[in-house]
Amino acid sequence: MNKNSYYGQFGGQYVSEALMNTLHSVEEAFEEAIKDQKFWEEYNYYMKEYVGRENPLYFAKRLTEKYGPKIYLKREDLNHTGAHKINNVIGQILLARRMGKTKVIAETGAGQHGVATATGAALFGMECTIFMGAEDIQRQELNVFRMKMLGAQVVSVTSGSSTLKDATNEAIRAWAKTAEDTFYVIGSAVGPHPYPKMVKEFQRVIGREAKAQILEKEGRLPDYVVACCGGGSNSIGMFADFLDEENVKFVGVEAAGLGIETGKHASAMAMGKPGVLHGMRSYLLQDDDGNVQIAHSISAGLDYPGIGPEHAYLRDTKKVEYVSVTDEECINALLELCKLEGIIPAIESAHAMAYVFKMAKDMPKDQIIVMCLSGRGDKDVHTVASYLKGEDMNK
Amino acid sequence: MNRIEEKLKALKSKGKKAFITYMTAGLPDMERMKQIICAQEEAGTDIIELGIPFSDPVADGPVIQSASRRAIEQGVNLSGTFQAVEELRGDCQIPIVFMMYYNTILYYGVEKFVDKCIACGVDGLIVPDLPYEEQDEIKAFLGKEDAPILIPLVSPVSAQRIPMLLEGARGFVYCVSSMGVTGQAADFHKNVSNYLQNVKKYSHIPIMMGFGIRTPQDVQGYKEIVDGAIVGSHFIKMMEENQYNIDKIKEYIKSFKAGF
Repeated sequence: MNKNSYYGQFGGQYVSEALMNTLHSVEEAFEEAIKDQKFWEEYNYYMKEYVGRENPLYFAKRLTEKYGPKIYLKREDLNHTGAHKINNVIGQILLARRMGKTKVIAETGAGQHGVATATGAALFGMECTIFMGAEDIQRQELNVFRMKMLGAQVVSVTSGSSTLKDATNEAIRAWAKTAEDTFYVIGSAVGPHPYPKMVKEFQRVIGREAKAQILEKEGRLPDYVVACCGGGSNSIGMFADFLDEENVKFVGVEAAGLGIETGKHASAMAMGKPGVLHGMRSYLLQDDDGNVQIAHSISAGLDYPGIGPEHAYLRDTKKVEYVSVTDEECINALLELCKLEGIIPAIESAHAMAYVFKMAKDMPKDQIIVMCLSGRGDKDVHTVASYLKGEDMNK
Repeated sequence: MNRIEEKLKALKSKGKKAFITYMTAGLPDMERMKQIICAQEEAGTDIIELGIPFSDPVADGPVIQSASRRAIEQGVNLSGTFQAVEELRGDCQIPIVFMMYYNTILYYGVEKFVDKCIACGVDGLIVPDLPYEEQDEIKAFLGKEDAPILIPLVSPVSAQRIPMLLEGARGFVYCVSSMGVTGQAADFHKNVSNYLQNVKKYSHIPIMMGFGIRTPQDVQGYKEIVDGAIVGSHFIKMMEENQYNIDKIKEYIKSFKAGF
């Protein structure tokens, strides 16, 4: 067992023998790159000039007035391509280029990671194939078209539940076949080592900026840092630079779908049973035979039965509290943010917002919450409309 | 002695190659699966790989994926397959290898799983998502008497890993002959000959070739190197096309054996 690949009992490299040398070479290249100042200079250049960083830590004045504690939103929604996903994609594609790879593949759920990968591939002149569940292709039509406009080939995956889980299976299959010239850009803090670590390093910029910004604005650290969790990439990036701070508390918000008690949800943590999927050992939704259960959430980006291994570890060590909110709570929070602040958030990010509203009720006014607003909601307008089914939004 | 080792020893002394098939457990149903296993033993199959269905079979191509899905829909699971193997063992001694994903073992409980294999007469395990680096947990229990053998898998890109993978290995070496998943056409990896020779050089046990094999002709060029061939997806397709007709299955096995 390679201890470096684990977070406590979670993580590892549960992949076929055909991918082991590939993982070793990715790990080697990654470890070398992150010690190379030139690599970071290039990464930072693209973060600033292309992605548009740094993005604001916005003080949500009207939310604060209504809910009590000071609420700050880290505006990842203002990044190029509309979400935090691009941070990681630029990092991984720079690494792929460094390794001499000419092709990239990726899985996508909501389509944000697919769009980000297609964007990065266009920027660096790489051939790009995106695997996406057939059901998600329907839910996120606009993002599919975006990827195609950016020159990517979108493969519709019809196996299993036709969502992110199955798109990831298919990407792994394609990777095992083509690893000799292809780099797999994993979009969340999941997968075999070193992916969870890489994704954290390339998303760390979120929390690093937020920390400096809150210190500048408030002269102190926040009481809470909150982010939504599907696989857990925006949350691990948001938490990373705060984790060593004694007095900061952390909340990860999973999707409770129709409610944990209905069984139709995407909360890997709520069920608390570890398993192995997509190359990693982590908490996983499973049935009585150890088959992976289909997750349910209104959010395609959180509709994933597992969670990144470091999150599983942070849960067990009680460093982070993991909670969940339902589809309904999420949509209410989404509309609230639209109306009070003029920001249309992604459905994923609205899960974090919903929990912020819940927790704020019991908090003193002088406390500070920093929340990661991981993406914008343009892609979700259809989903919200059909959820509300013409219900009057102005009542 | 383990049934796999016994069988391979007998084949070696006769100078014969091994013929190994793969079938998904519980198809078309448990009773007929048992009949097919017995018929295979009669027809000359040397070792049977029994696939335990899993929801996310990442090492498998479309044929085995869909077989796996159908089996799950019919309620096939690990406990039921154990029971079937146990029932078979009275009059059928063909070596049986479970091909399965690690989560199924983990969920069942690793030690409990090994004990059940011993009790039911499962002779070997192939776990495609459990590479060498992650095997310590299960190996802790594989030293028990009559425990199944964990079959080492080697890929065309294993290169410098081969000696490590084969050290202390038992049973046979499963040489994956093409990149990717099971059941693609027999377009083997471009350096497959060199690769197989390299495995042979380091191996003190028989080496078998699998992934994408349909007919004896597919392995013709490698006969001097390998000790046997594994037919999976094609075998499943053939059974489906013939409505699991026992005579047709026997016919296929006999003709493959004869041509091999």
